[in-house]
Amino acid sequence: MTAQRQSDTDNKVEPARGWGQAASLTQAKLPVLAVRAGRGEATSVLIATLALVAFISILHPEFFRVGQLLDTLQSAVYVGLLACGMSYLLSMREIDLSVGSTFGLTVIATGVMMNEGLPAWPAAILGILLGGFLGLINALIVQFVGIPAIVATLATLSVFRGLTLALSDGKQVTGLPLESSFFTILGGKTLGVPTSVWVLIAVAVLLTLVLRFTPFGYRVRSIGSNPDAATFSGISIPKVRMQALVLIGLLAGLSGVLGLAFFTSGDPNIGTGFELSAIAAAIIGGTPLRGGSATVIGACLGAVLLSVVTSGLQYFNIPANWSAFATGGVILAAVALDSLVRRRRRRESDRLGL
Amino acid sequence: MTVLSAQNITKTYGGVTALADGSLNVEPGSVHALLGENGAGKSTMVKVLSGTIRPDSGTLTLDGSPVAFHSTADAVGHGVAVVSQELNLFPDLDIIANLFPLREPRRGPFLNRGAMVEAARPILSELGLNVDLRTLVRELSLGQRQLVEICRALLTKPRVLILDEPTSALDRDGSDRLLGILQVLRDRQVGVVFVSHILEEVMQLCDTITVLRDGRTVLSGADRANLEIDDIVSAMLGPRPEAVAAAEAAPRTVRSEIELNLRDVSVDDVLTGVNLQVHAGEIVGVTGLAGAGHLAVLELVAGLRRPTSGTVRLPGDRPVPRGLRRAIGAGVAVVSGDRRGRGLMLDQPIWQNIGQVRSVGLSRDGLVVRGGALRNRARGHVDRLRIRCRDVEQRVGLLSGGNQQKVVLAKWLDASPTVLLLDDPTRGVDVGAKAEIHDLIRTAADDGAVVLLASTDLEELTTACDRVLVFHRGRVVAHLSGSDLDQHTIVRISNTGNGN
Repeated sequence: MTAQRQSDTDNKVEPARGWGQAASLTQAKLPVLAVRAGRGEATSVLIATLALVAFISILHPEFFRVGQLLDTLQSAVYVGLLACGMSYLLSMREIDLSVGSTFGLTVIATGVMMNEGLPAWPAAILGILLGGFLGLINALIVQFVGIPAIVATLATLSVFRGLTLALSDGKQVTGLPLESSFFTILGGKTLGVPTSVWVLIAVAVLLTLVLRFTPFGYRVRSIGSNPDAATFSGISIPKVRMQALVLIGLLAGLSGVLGLAFFTSGDPNIGTGFELSAIAAAIIGGTPLRGGSATVIGACLGAVLLSVVTSGLQYFNIPANWSAFATGGVILAAVALDSLVRRRRRRESDRLGL
Repeated sequence: MTVLSAQNITKTYGGVTALADGSLNVEPGSVHALLGENGAGKSTMVKVLSGTIRPDSGTLTLDGSPVAFHSTADAVGHGVAVVSQELNLFPDLDIIANLFPLREPRRGPFLNRGAMVEAARPILSELGLNVDLRTLVRELSLGQRQLVEICRALLTKPRVLILDEPTSALDRDGSDRLLGILQVLRDRQVGVVFVSHILEEVMQLCDTITVLRDGRTVLSGADRANLEIDDIVSAMLGPRPEAVAAAEAAPRTVRSEIELNLRDVSVDDVLTGVNLQVHAGEIVGVTGLAGAGHLAVLELVAGLRRPTSGTVRLPGDRPVPRGLRRAIGAGVAVVSGDRRGRGLMLDQPIWQNIGQVRSVGLSRDGLVVRGGALRNRARGHVDRLRIRCRDVEQRVGLLSGGNQQKVVLAKWLDASPTVLLLDDPTRGVDVGAKAEIHDLIRTAADDGAVVLLASTDLEELTTACDRVLVFHRGRVVAHLSGSDLDQHTIVRISNTGNGN
């Protein structure tokens, strides 16, 4: 009924808006409505993903198998978690280029800790905290050196990767205690779906709720919408930026731990380029670079779309050396489609004088 | 012998008349002051003279023959140049590169720096700027930058030069510097139009004076020697109204306890020995020329500045915390006239803007922000402040200026502040909304808030405030209230610093 009222009043100006749907919230319905609100925003990326799956499946029906689709989802998890955090940063007009390296360092560090005899679960928790700590380092550099996050994290992109290579001596980390429940549970399946996919879903719902229903979430979007007005409303930009950078660090840590559980070994170059995939996923998902709004669910779906492209390409006889080209083309097409869908919204923004 | 003459110029913007009947005659080798209150039409006149806009009617004549400027470049081609108040220089380029933004001498595809230096050197030394021409502009002082800008204008060999608000009151040796510059211009037989609102300076520097009021020329090319500052103020504001307003302004019942207390406050180079006690329920205006120090008082209370000496106390005899954010937490509200810059998130709905301080910035409503509660509260404010909108989901950027400003006010009232700082709260707002906003401010004061109002709008100061403090060069030079509080007195004291 709420949706009906919305479409009556808003159809003329805002076709793809998910905001108003949360109008008649009661607490009991929160999670359901959060997902619904997120889906409303992420409609175009969802359509694009489904269309691409359908396209591949028609040409190559063997792609449309439960196992293949779950594998595709599973491989979207790592970039997906990073993209969730990236959507927060982009919506406050910040960026973190070091997340791929943070991911790599937590994979290796967690593996090394296990090889040094630490039980798997405590090592995993330390790995996640390490990610948060690396995010804190980024935040402190931004704060006390006084440089933009894009510059600080460009430097730590190399620093963290360098640490990863040094820690592993450039070699694979193997010989992990694979019999531990850590590997069987997190690296395996729960209710027929990879456990890491459940983790991504839980994180996406949680972060959607945080974005929509906490002062922190409102602050993030306020800063992206108008930083001066945010400052003049009592919002501390440095504090919120620090929280967001630690958040994405924790997510990179979580992502690294899940990656270790699934791959059961650590390559020191793992995660190279993930930062750009995460940014692409967030943008495809519908988080605008100009800030002010974000969609966590969209960012996850953006990561899924990228993953569909990568796994789908294997079914076409594209030479390996052309796969990066094809991936880029699909990203471009996805963003272009999204842009077309959003054109009416942008016209309204022009009227706002933005 | 007139170089440039504007006769009976009119210009309307969307039904609002900016110039109704403006005239101005510029003589060569003479400095002509163009004066008027805010909104009198000064800047519109400047834009017409400089070719930025085309008048709706009226004639411009250059050396006796009619002209129409199609653009500022066209005006410069005809010998009419402007030096504007915001310096239009490229800080990361050197002086030479700044002097020839468009018509740089070339040798083939390359700049001919030698020819540039040759052309610029004599003018710069005449103006008294003797620094290496390869110095980057950002390394120059404000005064030196102004000389660069004037040199740039002079290189176009202008016959008329418009100086648009070339000094602020903050810039204390600005007048001496200008005296030298104007002498150079007089010697070169340039006709100067000097736009300013610092009357003292005008009396020192100018030869003739034209005053605009409500878009009309009310004093045309009068000889400065025959005028007193009082005459100019009268021309700017019109005849002094009878003391009717004073009679109806019955003394308000103000609570006795002092809520906001500035005792002997000084800030280096900005404020000297300021005392200000404000009671709950009182609306106190602070005013002065740009840089006179009245805005520094608001910054002190907002935690944006620290006093060098003296004390600033908030209600409850608490000190002002360090920093804007903590001051806001302590109950200070900052309503700025710059609503697009500092006030609002234009791309967000009304309810999010209204809840931004209380629920988001201060998170007074706990760890969960409930959209429903925020919307309900916003609806209450929309009704009470009579914000005209479709509903609270409407994006703020789509509202009119007056309604946008009410949203800014609402977002602060939502946080129930104890101190309300207003900086030009009705800038660019239509008359009806302005009166409504004044009523809302009065209601907030009656509810016990302390209100400090800084404004460039004289009418606002005299109608909305219980009393007004006039600042001059960092000191409070007058407390005006009751029958003393009128626009003439404010302008006279702001300019002369003489509060009797």
